[in-house]
Amino acid sequence: MFQDWVTQWERTFDNVANQLMGTEGFSQAMNEFQKAQLNAQRMFAENMTQVLTNMNLPTREDILRLSEAVQGLDRRLERIEEQMGGGGTGPSKASRPPRTRQPANKPDASDSGGAA
Amino acid sequence: MSDTSNLDLNLLGNMQNFVQQAINRGRRSVELATAPPQPVGLTPKDVLYSRGTLRLYHYHPIADEVYRTPVLLVMATTNKAFVFDLAPGQSMVEYLLRKGFDVYVIDWEPPSQEERGLTLADYTQDFIPTCVDRVLADSGEPDVSLIGYCMGGILSMIYAATHTEGPLRNLVCLTTPLNMHGMGLTQVWNDPRYFDVDKLVDTLGVVPADTVTQMFEMQRPAQRVAGQLRLWDQMFDDEFVKSYRAFQRWGDETLPLAGEYMRETTKELSWGNKLYTEELVVAGREAKVSKITVPLLSIVAEHDHLAPRDSTHEILDKVGSTDKKEILLKGGHVSLIAGPNAVRRMWPQLDAWLSERST
Repeated sequence: MFQDWVTQWERTFDNVANQLMGTEGFSQAMNEFQKAQLNAQRMFAENMTQVLTNMNLPTREDILRLSEAVQGLDRRLERIEEQMGGGGTGPSKASRPPRTRQPANKPDASDSGGAA
Repeated sequence: MSDTSNLDLNLLGNMQNFVQQAINRGRRSVELATAPPQPVGLTPKDVLYSRGTLRLYHYHPIADEVYRTPVLLVMATTNKAFVFDLAPGQSMVEYLLRKGFDVYVIDWEPPSQEERGLTLADYTQDFIPTCVDRVLADSGEPDVSLIGYCMGGILSMIYAATHTEGPLRNLVCLTTPLNMHGMGLTQVWNDPRYFDVDKLVDTLGVVPADTVTQMFEMQRPAQRVAGQLRLWDQMFDDEFVKSYRAFQRWGDETLPLAGEYMRETTKELSWGNKLYTEELVVAGREAKVSKITVPLLSIVAEHDHLAPRDSTHEILDKVGSTDKKEILLKGGHVSLIAGPNAVRRMWPQLDAWLSERST
């Protein structure tokens, strides 16, 4: 009974909310809000970069460049490992089951071209 | 007099029960709030290949005999693939393994800032083809079946439309939209007059997971609260709690999106609707869905708010396949592939269709 009530409430709430949010006005307001957020974020990032540079500390861009360099090294290592034959720990190909399985039933003619 | 006493005793007993229950619920709430994350993705697997955001898994076969054609599942770029392998007994991967399929999965890690420039071409002309090659090499077979979920289905369709010479054997699209102008709320919110995707991508580089989650949750704003109310009600049902926490973890671990990929999908797929109109060109290759001729199965959900019926129902009309089928099932975008409904409804139908085409 409680579960039914929750389901009913959820449906009703979502329907009303979707009607309110499915309008051009809501879309415009939501996207304007997002633009304002992005502007604020950009300004903050620029100011913070300036502060960090003045304090002779690494900025986010510097950290990202370092991260890219480390990832580049990582990829090289992966390639070397691969060339050296490193691999998974799963069952070897020899111990895998044969690929001979057949389906239990023959294909149903209604399977082709139909639509539910 | 004795009637009054009995009433008092009953009232006292009820009150005691109520208080005890409230204490138990409080205790259980604390237990759940402090518990480690629900373990997911437990079916044994190997990482066959990894590069940046890309992971390719091979699951250890369970059956004594498997179908000749391997299957490769392609996860949506917004979410982790463990929804295919939530928990023992609730795992689509485990089900397919038991039914005798050789299962591979493409999963995604959060793209790094270095990968902010990834495009549709990277996903459909590099990542998927590379994984397909790896699967063929690992399985020793000349062809493979692709199963794409949501955006993974779109990427799979683009791959299929641009690799018509093979080695694709079958294509299964799960809750995959094709006509983006039928996307309901998403389409309204992505209105090119108001949504400045260039500003979003140029400012952020990689679109944060929070932004993606917000887009999903705004479509069902009551879902989270309703879920918590259901959890409160069924707090002592261990199976329900386990399932709830696994789904919650999946929802909470939404992935960020590479900026250029977001920009391109918004402009080319959402605004231009170019996959539907067959004008999409990826890395110089025309991605015309009418060129897809392999057997195709589209499985869609009746109450899917993320891929509404208007966006999915024309797939069969558009593709060039002669062997094609659509299955419309009760349920929503996620319950179609995981959870009790999927176990009963979707997985057996997928097995029945795919097994006949995997020998």
